[in-house]
Amino acid sequence: MANVVTTTGLTRRFGAITAVDRLSIEVPAAGVIGLVGPNGSGKSTLIRMLLGLIRPTSGTATVLGLPITSPAKYAARVGALVESPAFVSGLSARANLVSLARLRRLPLGRVDEVLSIVGLTGRDKEPVGNFSLGMKQRLGIAAALLPDPELLILDEPTNGLDPAGIVEIRGLLRSLGETGRTVIVASHLLAEVQLACDYLVVVRFGELVFAGPMTEMLARSRPHVDLRAEHARDTEKLHAALMAGGWEVDLADDVLRVAATASRSADLNRAATAAGITLSELVVVQESLEDIFLTMTGRTDGELAAARATTPEEAAR
Amino acid sequence: MIAIVHSELLRLRRRSLLAAWFGLTASFAIMINFVMFSTAGKGASLPPGAPGVAFPNAAVLAGPDGLVAGLAAASSMFGVVTLSLWAVAAATDYSSGLIRLLVSAQPHRWRLLIGKVVALTAVTAVATTVAMAVCLLVAAPAAGAAGISTAAWGTHPVSTIASAWLNAFAAQLAWGVLGLVIAVLSRSSTVAIAVGVGYVLVVESVVKMAIGGSADWLLGSTLNAVASGGTATLAYGSALGLALVYVAAGLVLASAVVTRRDITD
Repeated sequence: MANVVTTTGLTRRFGAITAVDRLSIEVPAAGVIGLVGPNGSGKSTLIRMLLGLIRPTSGTATVLGLPITSPAKYAARVGALVESPAFVSGLSARANLVSLARLRRLPLGRVDEVLSIVGLTGRDKEPVGNFSLGMKQRLGIAAALLPDPELLILDEPTNGLDPAGIVEIRGLLRSLGETGRTVIVASHLLAEVQLACDYLVVVRFGELVFAGPMTEMLARSRPHVDLRAEHARDTEKLHAALMAGGWEVDLADDVLRVAATASRSADLNRAATAAGITLSELVVVQESLEDIFLTMTGRTDGELAAARATTPEEAAR
Repeated sequence: MIAIVHSELLRLRRRSLLAAWFGLTASFAIMINFVMFSTAGKGASLPPGAPGVAFPNAAVLAGPDGLVAGLAAASSMFGVVTLSLWAVAAATDYSSGLIRLLVSAQPHRWRLLIGKVVALTAVTAVATTVAMAVCLLVAAPAAGAAGISTAAWGTHPVSTIASAWLNAFAAQLAWGVLGLVIAVLSRSSTVAIAVGVGYVLVVESVVKMAIGGSADWLLGSTLNAVASGGTATLAYGSALGLALVYVAAGLVLASAVVTRRDITD
């Protein structure tokens, strides 16, 4: 199947800021695709360009094989939740969805279907103004599902949801992805992305950092084993023994981080014993998507801002 | 297009919005009728250039048009209400972020704009009818209380009411379009209402005082002339033509902004 989204040198500038910078990606059809990046990395700008809300400064892109310069050609096949869900607060959830269904010329029976999918049946006659953030989020997903879209684009769909709601939405995303749809999820919750997505697009400063299957991304993880000697005074001795044994070791405080898989744990324990040191801790650590992501994109927003700033004044801000 | 208008009408069916619109319209209609008849009954008149209202004298109120005179007299007040509510309806789409959903669903933005204008026009027709109904209900008691004869009011009531309604409706539409244009430009109902009301109550009055009789082409004066079926200084046809120019220019401007502007809200 063709790609659902293709961008070639896609760029969007806002004055001096380049929100999306010559982005070239190919997003394959079907499955759940994670779009991740730090704050200000251009995710929302990219989504808005794909939906025809803003125009690119340069470059080209297609959605479902159609150019983003003509969003009307694919609007009926795409559903979206862009940033926070927005509705008329004085109207009920049902009235809001009916108004959107009318706008899309959809049968009103579809409103009941999507209300049921997101678990809002029974609350649909309440004014949206009385809804919690989580309920609004569900309603936003319902609105995105209205056209029974081939491509669903959700920007932070689990914002405001409680843990049970997050699990529920994750299940919903998986089931939507399994029915032949493509779901693009922009999210900061990397643990959720890791559990829900098959494919990953990572952007930073509006540039592509990674695009590929989730398995390929996770294969970049560096498994390691953390060791702690029973007595802190033995830490240096243990460090030296392991280095002498050819292990790759980093020392942080009293913990020795050894690049090794879980299968080498026993070898490490034996090496410590041979050096006459008793271990108080031996922990096998598998890097998560979050760890890999932070390694790729920088640790914190402040770090990123400083890295991106072109002047000391900007860095200070 | 019918689907877009229907969708817009569904969103306008907010109890608070309609209550404010029709409630304010009815309140102004009641107030203006009693004040207008009372003022005329005492032989008094408003100071020249008083902002927002223009009262006919007792002789005019005792004539066939007296029954519906309140509709024209309060034209600017109704106009402010219409301007405000059109502005709220247009700006809320931006301030709430709803515009993202709407444009994602219907990327032909000009169709959304036309759908909104048609839907608001329909509600404005209802509001004008509310104003007319209230005027018809309170005119006779107000005239009676002020000692103004209503004997001539029975002459051609249907044509009198129909033309008064049409004139008031035309003026309200133009006020509404003004509110819509300012709201689209500012993306804020507060700014739109402040600018609109400030213009009617302050700017136009100041300009009129500064340049005198040659200010009939100003928006407020033009729309008052439309609502009144023409004035001594601006014939009805000229006023209607000028109002159409204002409306067309406003819609062209709003359409250009809506279709070209990035949606970053």
